[in-house]
Amino acid sequence: MTPRKTALFPGSSAPLPRSASTPDNALATELTRRLGPHKVLSRLSERLNYRYDAIQFGATPLCVVLPESTADVVTAVRAARAAGVPIVGRGAASGLSGGAAPAQPSVVVSFTRMTRLEIFPERREARAQAGVVTLAVTERARPFGLIYPPDPASFRTSTIGGNLGENAGGPLCFKYGVSGDYVRALEWVDAEGEVHELTREAYDLAGLLIGSEGTLGLITEASLRLTPPPQFTRTLMASFADVGACAQAVSRAIATGAVPAKLEFMDQACVNAVEDFLRLGLPREAGALLLVDTDGDDLDTVEEERALVEAACLEAGGTVRRAVSDAESAALWQARRSVSPALGRIRPQRMNEDIVVPRSALAEVVREIRALGDASGLPLVQFGHIGDGNLHPNILFDPRRESPEAVHDLAHRIALVAIRHGGVLSGEHGIGTMKRPFMREAVDPLTLAAFRDVKRALDPAGALNPGKVLPDEEGEPHAHP
Amino acid sequence: MNNEIPVQMIGPQGEVMAHAVDACVHCGFCLPACPTYALLGDEMDSPRGRIVLMKEVLEGSLPLADAAPHLDRCLGCQGCVTACPSGVPYGELITAFRGWSEPRRQRSPLDRAKRAAILKILPAPKVFSLAARVGQHTKPLAPVLPAALRAPLDLLPEQVPAMQPLPQVTRARGPRRGRVAFLAGCAQQALAPNFNAATLRVLARNGIEVVIPEGQGCCGAAALHTGARDEALRLVRQNLAAFHPDDYDAILSNAAGCGAGLKEYPAVLHGLPDEARARALAAKVQDISEFLAGLLRAGELEPFLPASRPLTVAYHDACHLAHAQGVRAAPRELLRAIPGVTVAEVPEGDLCCGSAGTYNLEQPELANSLGVRKARNILSTRPDLIASGNIGCHTQIQSHVRRAGSRVPVLHTVEVLDLAYRGEL
Repeated sequence: MTPRKTALFPGSSAPLPRSASTPDNALATELTRRLGPHKVLSRLSERLNYRYDAIQFGATPLCVVLPESTADVVTAVRAARAAGVPIVGRGAASGLSGGAAPAQPSVVVSFTRMTRLEIFPERREARAQAGVVTLAVTERARPFGLIYPPDPASFRTSTIGGNLGENAGGPLCFKYGVSGDYVRALEWVDAEGEVHELTREAYDLAGLLIGSEGTLGLITEASLRLTPPPQFTRTLMASFADVGACAQAVSRAIATGAVPAKLEFMDQACVNAVEDFLRLGLPREAGALLLVDTDGDDLDTVEEERALVEAACLEAGGTVRRAVSDAESAALWQARRSVSPALGRIRPQRMNEDIVVPRSALAEVVREIRALGDASGLPLVQFGHIGDGNLHPNILFDPRRESPEAVHDLAHRIALVAIRHGGVLSGEHGIGTMKRPFMREAVDPLTLAAFRDVKRALDPAGALNPGKVLPDEEGEPHAHP
Repeated sequence: MNNEIPVQMIGPQGEVMAHAVDACVHCGFCLPACPTYALLGDEMDSPRGRIVLMKEVLEGSLPLADAAPHLDRCLGCQGCVTACPSGVPYGELITAFRGWSEPRRQRSPLDRAKRAAILKILPAPKVFSLAARVGQHTKPLAPVLPAALRAPLDLLPEQVPAMQPLPQVTRARGPRRGRVAFLAGCAQQALAPNFNAATLRVLARNGIEVVIPEGQGCCGAAALHTGARDEALRLVRQNLAAFHPDDYDAILSNAAGCGAGLKEYPAVLHGLPDEARARALAAKVQDISEFLAGLLRAGELEPFLPASRPLTVAYHDACHLAHAQGVRAAPRELLRAIPGVTVAEVPEGDLCCGSAGTYNLEQPELANSLGVRKARNILSTRPDLIASGNIGCHTQIQSHVRRAGSRVPVLHTVEVLDLAYRGEL
C-alpha cells in the first residue's frame, strides 16, 4: 500500500498531499547543507507543526530552523535573506495574538533548543538563551534565594525569548512590572544577520526590541535581573454586587497607599463558568469577584496592606473573605487559575482580548462590553488584572456553530470601547495579527508613521515577521487575519 | 482545533478522535509535560504537534507514513493529559488513532514479526517465563546481536524467578470484611511473582477475600496501545465475560498499566454493544493502593510494624497511575503510614521513566535516555528503597539504577507494605 492511498478516504476531494523525504526547496537544501539535517526541518509533516501559536493557525513555513547557538541563527537569517524569504522567530508558541504564526510562507526560527542558563547570584542576575523556559529561571535561582518575578500564565511553557518578544506580563505585574522591566542586556541578531549586544544605556534600543514581536530583530540571549522572593503573602477574596463597586474598591485601596502584589477580577459569567466546572462554592450571584494578594518581608506591613484593601472593599459594599492559611489561599486562587479550562468546556475556541483602560473607566467599560456580548448572542466572559486596568474579555465560540466574522466583529467593537475610554489594545499579549486591524483606530497617524520609520530603519526589506503589529500601508492589498 | 475529520467514514472511534482534536486549543501547556519534547525539543514530538499530525492524516492532507515516526515516538504516558487545561482526552485519541492506522501501515516483515512476537509473548505468563529463561542464557551474546534483539535482553533481570502458582481464592485472615476480584496480570507473573504474592498476603491480613476469576486474560492494554485493535477487543471481551462486577466490592489490579487498561474499556467499546457492561466493570476497578488507602482513611487498615531504622523511600509515580488514573496520594499515604518511613519526592517526577508498555522494545534509544534520566533523578534523593506500582517501571528503573552502580532495592509499593507487616523492613 502506498502512503498516498492510505491517507485518503474513498470519495474524499482533498488534494493529494506531497511527501518530501528530502528538502523540497532550494533554501531548505542550502540550510541543511550549512547546519546539518538535525537542525533543519523540511518535510511537510515537520513544517505543518510550525504554523500556529496558542490562538491562530498561519501559513505553512518553507522550512524550520532549530538553532543551538547564536551562530546558527545568523546562518539562518543570512540564508533566508539571500533567498528573499521572510523570517519568523518563535519560542514555545504559547502567545495569544498570532505573533508566532507565520502570516506567509517563511523560514521559522524556533528557539526551543537554545536553553543555556547561568545564574550569577553575586550580581542577582541570570543569563538566559532565548529558548529557556520562563519558570526554569526561578527554579534555578531559588537555591540562591532569588527569583525571576514575571509570571505570565504560560510560564511553565513559554520561553524568555517569546516573553521578551511580546513583553509578557502576568498577575504580579501591578507591583513587580512586566518582562521588559527585568532586562539588563540583550544579545540580538538583526535583519542583516549581524549580532549585537545592547544594554539600557544611551538609546534604550533594548526597550525598542522588547515587545516588538520579532518585527525588528531576533533576541538570542538576555541578562535578567533577579530579586529575593517576598517572605510573606496574604490573600483575600471579595465579592461585589456589580463591577462598579469592585473597581471603586480597587481604586480606593490603591489611593490609601496599598500596593498589592496581585489584583485579579472575574465577572459573573466567568465566576459561573468556573463554578460549573469545579463547584468551589463561589458566590454565583456576585456581579464581580476580586482576588488580592499582598506580600513583602515585613509581616505587619503585609497584614496592614491587606487590612487597607479589606476596608476599601467593605466601604464599597463588598463581602470579604480572608484566607487564614496557605491552603485556603491556594483554594481561593484555584478559582482564578481554573478560568481557562472552565471556558474550554463552554466552547472549544476563544478570542482573547487584552485591552487596558484607566481604572476610573473600568466599570463603564465592563458594562459596555457586557452589553455588546449580550447583543451578539456569543458567550462572553471578562476577567483580568484589574490593578493595571488590564481586561481580558473572552469571546467563546465553536466555528461549527458561530461565524468567525461575528466573532471578529465583536472583538473589533470591544477594541473600540477601550479606545473610546482612553485605553490601549494590548496589555501583555501583543498586537500580532489579532489586533493589527484595529491599530489605525488605536494609534494616531503621526505615531504610526514613526513606528513605520523605526521598522524601515531596522528592517528595510520587511523580512522580519511580516504581517504583524503594523497595519498594511494605504494602497497595499489588505490582508485580513 | 478546527477539523474536518470525516467521522461518518470512520465510525464511533472517529467520533472519539474528532472530539479530542476539537478540544485542543494548541496553547502549548502540554509541552513541558512531554518526555519526547523534553528530549527532542521539536513540535512534531510534542502532544499538540501529534494532535495536528493525526488531524491532518485523518483529514487526508498528510500521508500516514510521514506522521508515523512522530506518533510512534509517543510513549502514551499521558503526562500531557494531566497538564492540559482544556481537558483534551489525548490518551483516547492516540489509542483510537493507533487502532485505526495500524491496518493501514506499511511495515517490514521483520518489524511485523517482532510486533507479533511481543504481543504473543507478553500476555502469556508461561510463554514469557520460558522466553525470559532463554533470553537469560542469550545475554552474554548481547553485544553482537542486532539492536532489535538487544533491547529486550538489556531489560531482563539477572535472575528470572520461578513462577508461583496463584490460588483461585485466598481466604481473609480473621473476620471477612470484603471480597474483591484480582487481575493477576501477565508479564509480572513471570518477572516478579512476589508482587502478586505480597498483594494477596496484604489483602488477606486486612480481612479481604481475594478471588482470581477463571478465564481472565491479559487486560489488552499492550495490544490496544500498539494498534492491534482486533486482538485488544478479543481480550476485552474475554475479561468482560470473566469478571462479574456485581459479585465483588472492587476489581483490583496491582499493575498501573493493567488498571488503566481496565478503566479504558468503555472508550474501547464506545458505540459497540458491550459498552454498558464495560462501564459497569470500569466503575469497580481500583488500583491496589487506592483500595488499601480507602481502608487506611476509614481507620480500618491493620497497623504496620515500624521499620527497623529510619528509611527514605523514593516513590516513583507510574504514568498509568499518576496520569492515566489520577492516583498519586494513595501510595504515598500508605508508605507514610509505616512508622519510620519518609517518602522522598523525585525531581522531574512527572516525566515518564521510558518503559511505557512495549516502548522500550520499540524505541530503545529514547527509552534509554529517559531511563538514565529517571535513575539519576531517583538516586539524587539518596533513597534507602525505591517503590513504584507498575511492573514496567520496576523493570526499567531497576535496570538503570543498577547500571548507575547502585544496589538500592527496587520494590512494588505493596511489597514494602508486606515487609512492614512481617516486621522485615
